[in-house]
Amino acid sequence: MNKKEISNTTLKSIRSKLQNYPDSLKDNFEISIKFVSEIFSVEETKLWALIGLKIAQVTTRSWESSLEYYKATPDIIKYLPFNYIIQWGESGLDLSNQSPTLASSYFKASKNTIKKLRSRHIDSWALTGKSLYNGTWKSSTLACQFFEHSPALVKSLTFPQIEKFTSVLKNISDNSFDIASDSLSISTTIFPIIGKSNEEFINLLPNVIKLNLRELKGFLESCSKSLNKIDSNQRINFIKIIIKLMENGELNIPNHITEMANNLNEINKEEHESILELATTLEGTTPIFFINSTPKAFEKLTNTQLIKWVETGKKIYKTNVEGGVAFFKIESSYSEQVIENLSSSIELSKIKEIMELYCRGLAGSEIKLENTGDLVEKNIGWVSNESPSTEGSTVYLPAVTDRYTSKIDNFNWYKVVSTHQVAHVEFGSFQFNFSKPSNLFKDLRYTLEEKKLNNDENYKSQTWLTDIQRFFNMFTDRQLSLDIFTVVEDGRLDERIKYEYPGVKNPYIKIQTDTLKRRKPIQELPAREALVELIIRIGLQELKSIPVPKKHKKSATDIVSIAKQVFDYSANIEDVAEATLRIYAIISQISNENIDQDDWDNIDIDDINEEYNDSNNMDELIDNISQNPDMSELNDDEEYTPSEQVDYRGDFKPELSQLLNELRSQGDMSDENNKDSNLTQQMLEEMFQSSAEIDVNSNVSEMQNASGKFANNILKETGVNINQQDYGDGVPSHIDEDGGSLDPNEPQTFVYDEWDFRAGDYKPRWCIVHQKEMPEGDPNFYSTTLHSYKPLVQRIQRQFEMMVPEMFRKVRKLDDGEDFDIDDVIEAMIDIKTGNSPNEKFYWRRNKVQRDVAVALLLDTSASTAEAIDDSKKPGDDWDAPDDPVKYMEWLKNRKSEGSRRNYKRIIDVEKESIVLLINALESIGDMYGIYGFSGYGRENVEFYNIKDLNENFSDNIKQRIDRISPLHATRMGPAIRHTITKLKKAEARTKLLFLISDGRPQDRGYSREGVEKEYAVHDTKMALDEAKQEDINAFCLTVDKSGHDYLKTMCEDIGYEVLDDIHALPERLLYLYRRLTM
Amino acid sequence: MAKSTKTLYRSYIIEEYNLTEEPYYLPVNDEVELFEAAYKQRIPVIFKGPTGCGKTRFIEYMSYKIGVPLTKVKKQDNKSQNNIPLVTIACHEDLTASDLVGRYLLEGDKTVWIDGPLTRAVKAGGICYLDEIVEARKDTTVIIHPLTDHRRILPVEKKGELLEAAEGFLLVLSYNPGYQSALKDLKQSTRQRFISVEFDYPSRDAEAEIIKHESGLDIQTSTQLAKLGEKVRNLKEHGLQEGSSTRLLIYAGKLISQGIKPRRACQVAINWAVTDDISIQKSISELISSIFE
Repeated sequence: MNKKEISNTTLKSIRSKLQNYPDSLKDNFEISIKFVSEIFSVEETKLWALIGLKIAQVTTRSWESSLEYYKATPDIIKYLPFNYIIQWGESGLDLSNQSPTLASSYFKASKNTIKKLRSRHIDSWALTGKSLYNGTWKSSTLACQFFEHSPALVKSLTFPQIEKFTSVLKNISDNSFDIASDSLSISTTIFPIIGKSNEEFINLLPNVIKLNLRELKGFLESCSKSLNKIDSNQRINFIKIIIKLMENGELNIPNHITEMANNLNEINKEEHESILELATTLEGTTPIFFINSTPKAFEKLTNTQLIKWVETGKKIYKTNVEGGVAFFKIESSYSEQVIENLSSSIELSKIKEIMELYCRGLAGSEIKLENTGDLVEKNIGWVSNESPSTEGSTVYLPAVTDRYTSKIDNFNWYKVVSTHQVAHVEFGSFQFNFSKPSNLFKDLRYTLEEKKLNNDENYKSQTWLTDIQRFFNMFTDRQLSLDIFTVVEDGRLDERIKYEYPGVKNPYIKIQTDTLKRRKPIQELPAREALVELIIRIGLQELKSIPVPKKHKKSATDIVSIAKQVFDYSANIEDVAEATLRIYAIISQISNENIDQDDWDNIDIDDINEEYNDSNNMDELIDNISQNPDMSELNDDEEYTPSEQVDYRGDFKPELSQLLNELRSQGDMSDENNKDSNLTQQMLEEMFQSSAEIDVNSNVSEMQNASGKFANNILKETGVNINQQDYGDGVPSHIDEDGGSLDPNEPQTFVYDEWDFRAGDYKPRWCIVHQKEMPEGDPNFYSTTLHSYKPLVQRIQRQFEMMVPEMFRKVRKLDDGEDFDIDDVIEAMIDIKTGNSPNEKFYWRRNKVQRDVAVALLLDTSASTAEAIDDSKKPGDDWDAPDDPVKYMEWLKNRKSEGSRRNYKRIIDVEKESIVLLINALESIGDMYGIYGFSGYGRENVEFYNIKDLNENFSDNIKQRIDRISPLHATRMGPAIRHTITKLKKAEARTKLLFLISDGRPQDRGYSREGVEKEYAVHDTKMALDEAKQEDINAFCLTVDKSGHDYLKTMCEDIGYEVLDDIHALPERLLYLYRRLTM
Repeated sequence: MAKSTKTLYRSYIIEEYNLTEEPYYLPVNDEVELFEAAYKQRIPVIFKGPTGCGKTRFIEYMSYKIGVPLTKVKKQDNKSQNNIPLVTIACHEDLTASDLVGRYLLEGDKTVWIDGPLTRAVKAGGICYLDEIVEARKDTTVIIHPLTDHRRILPVEKKGELLEAAEGFLLVLSYNPGYQSALKDLKQSTRQRFISVEFDYPSRDAEAEIIKHESGLDIQTSTQLAKLGEKVRNLKEHGLQEGSSTRLLIYAGKLISQGIKPRRACQVAINWAVTDDISIQKSISELISSIFE
């Protein structure tokens, strides 16, 4: 529209021209112009009016569009500035040039659309509508429809999405305007349902179109009806599954959609995510049947069990499509059976807590319970993911068991298995002592060893790390001796358990019987293996007619009577060794040949009753096995294969476990002249190579590699530092600890003595404590923590509030008060009568009794607190600070960068959270409290952080400081404790408390290295705590030590002390203890 | 109108209450010899140990044991008079010094002095056993100081008297260390007037013997109970504050001997008695069901 034209026109002329059209147009114009002229200038109004006129002038019918234009204007001017109004009008004009109906729809829809649309998109919006129009009548309908639906579309879609959707429609309309039109109207109802995934939905639409345009309407219709039955976040995933089905050529999609959605509707919406995730992994048509079966499956299965069920189904589907389909339909009995089994299965995680305490109760030591997979990951010689096992401190159980069809039976299986594993610890499987006499046998070990020394040159060079290794060294066929030993020992334990725990006897026998049923017929085994199997059978209580090779019947009878002797509750591990020796002597003389079906004879165990006595030829047998090579290598042998494992007994590795136990206790003790301290990695490797417990199938070079790795891992696992130079002559040198007393030269530094337990005296002025204020961080940490612990906070609040009323106690024996106490008055009366001076304080008052408590919380902020609390796989020794300053800085850097990448919780995080909760509680009871953190590097650098000083008031600054608590360097506990004592001494309170929260490992350069240094640190810490006691300060140590590196425990007999097994319990426990200690 | 009432109960004045039968006590360690020696030299004793391990039974046993031979030597005919009276006082937080020493009471318009139990024990020359002394008020610990050193006197302030302890008098305290509130600890000045005899739960065999004697069960079941006790004590510090005491084991034994099923008896007498924590209860339940059929 050119300027000239505008300037030449007047409103008057426009009005007169509008007279040419039906009155309604003029009327609407007059109404709107009142609004327009109020806001816009005359020129602007003129321009606006002119556009309307122009629209009316396009064709004979276009005055109707113009009418809509004028009609809509009063609403539009609320949302748009003038220039956009013009643009809007001109777009309409453009449309009416195409088709007046289009323009009418455009103007009609404008009011509600523009409300939501950005002004700059108005133009494109009109164009988008226009793009659907190609001059035909049908296309005009579609375009009009587009405008009509626009208000709804802008509500659920962004403008680019609308454009995209329109181009999809355009595509459809190329084929069929009807379908396009239907799609448009149905989609408008779908978009609000899908919500934020609309873009994805629009992107998927072309796929549907490509696959089957005719189905599109049905697809959309059923979607719009059914999608709301599905969890709102999962609707798009559902659609994806449907599309995948369409891609697979599945017909009758609308019905499927309805049915699947209805079935999903029956399931809790929270489960939809995992179900649909599972469904996407399925092939072919199975997702349909799977989803339709889920309500039924969920009746019995938990989420994890469902996953297992699906996995089984997938396997079937791979080999047999129809079978797979039937499986997912739950129309096969196998499928039902799998569900039955799964639903009765028990997951270790569910019962772990109970069973762990149970095991601890039985063993009386710190037994941990872990998943078998964890042991395999440690890579120290265990390989089976399924077999239960133990290495002396941890019992490993399979993650899930579904052997039986009832939950009770499965639970009993866990119980029997853990009882058996704990029995290794409880009844001394790993305590074999070569020189301890046995109970039930004559000790032939010494005889054999002596003979070996005489007869076998190789034997003389053998070394051993453990007594059990010394024992196994005597046997040429190590595998055979190990097999006999484990089988006999497991049998002994079974008997012992059944004797000691009659309560588990019944399930035990049931499991033994079931195990027996599953074992291979003995006749399939060659002679030697059959005889080993015989021992297993006796252990499993098969007492009637066990087949044995005819020609070895005498040997078998001997073995039976030995086994019967040792399968007794009074037998000990040394008896097992003696029995092993004898059985080995017998079996090694027998060649491992296959026996004909007819050459078997049955023996009844019950019939063999006479007590076992060494036969006359036992000496000869021992002579035989002491030869090298002994007589065990006979010709025509089948290769000896170890006997099939008894599954409930699991994997028993006596040699490795005893080694681990001894290394551990060596790591814990710091015997200055430890005889094993010259242990080398090479010795360990040798042991692994000779041991039969490690997979013998691997070839030699691999074996050497592996044993090196094992040795390394074992050392890490046990925290033993081998070949330490420091041990030397037995007098430990204190590295980097030379030099004399230190002087605090800077302000805010303090110097303290340190206790040297070797000298039995203090090292004067030995450590410098630098007191610093903790920098400030984000105050929100405080409130978010309180928020995330809301239930606990509320509970604590209640408990602590219950302490408060006690403060308003009725106080008796006052000079003045609310009323007199009748008892005290009488007493005073009596005193007067008897001539004593009466106590005149007989008033009482409800008084606020001052809780006179000052508490200092000392927080270990050493680097070791950076450890993730759920991550037990980190090697235990990497907390040890290197001595060399350069290496130390490197180590520190690693530590820190580890921290910055974390998305897990660390020990320190829980410490911080506990502090927040405690502060919150303490503020409500008004005790005086201080919070300090400590760390440091070396004796001249003990850092002591004020988070809240005792006499400081709680404020936002303190909240901010808490946020900044982070793992720093090493832990030198002594000086930090001493500094806190100094602070507490100054505080005026009747009860003073020092609360030390640490991870139980004092460690610092020259303070905490393995061996004597560690003991030094522990002694110093202990001494510092004793000093607190002398100052009438009650010290309490709370240790959060998940990995058992706790050295302080042994020293803290008369100091309040607690180890927290589960760090998550720290906040609650801390508050609990606080309450207890100060009530 | 009845002329006389039938006595429905037996009551004794504390000086005359003597044990007529020897209480059962199975020595665990050298505590008997220690106590005898201490008594001969009149050295006050503190018993330390967890609840229900036999401290009170031990003092009863010792008062009887020490009393009997004395009577036999002196007076054959009337032995009960020479037994050593045992005055047991359970301390609580409102127990004041005058509760122990005594007070004047009004009777009509006169005043009458009434001796407290401690005073009576001092006069009668008995053993005064203050159970859970840390629970008592602080002023009580002060009055026992002069009684527990060479002076052996009890100042009776109200009467302006100093009471010299009779020949046989000895003060014995019991004290439960460990999880005590920090506010309630014995002061050094008090502690160091006593020798401390530590008590712990007996060994499995000894405990079985005790259970057998007290509950009348056979030795096998008693051993099972003792075994259970041992296992439950293993859980201490894993959320359990105190292990199951011998007393509880005996209760369980008594229930069993009354015909209650062992598992049930242990459940009520041990499991639910020691803890309210459900997961620990479950674990103990498993221990019980392992040990008892």
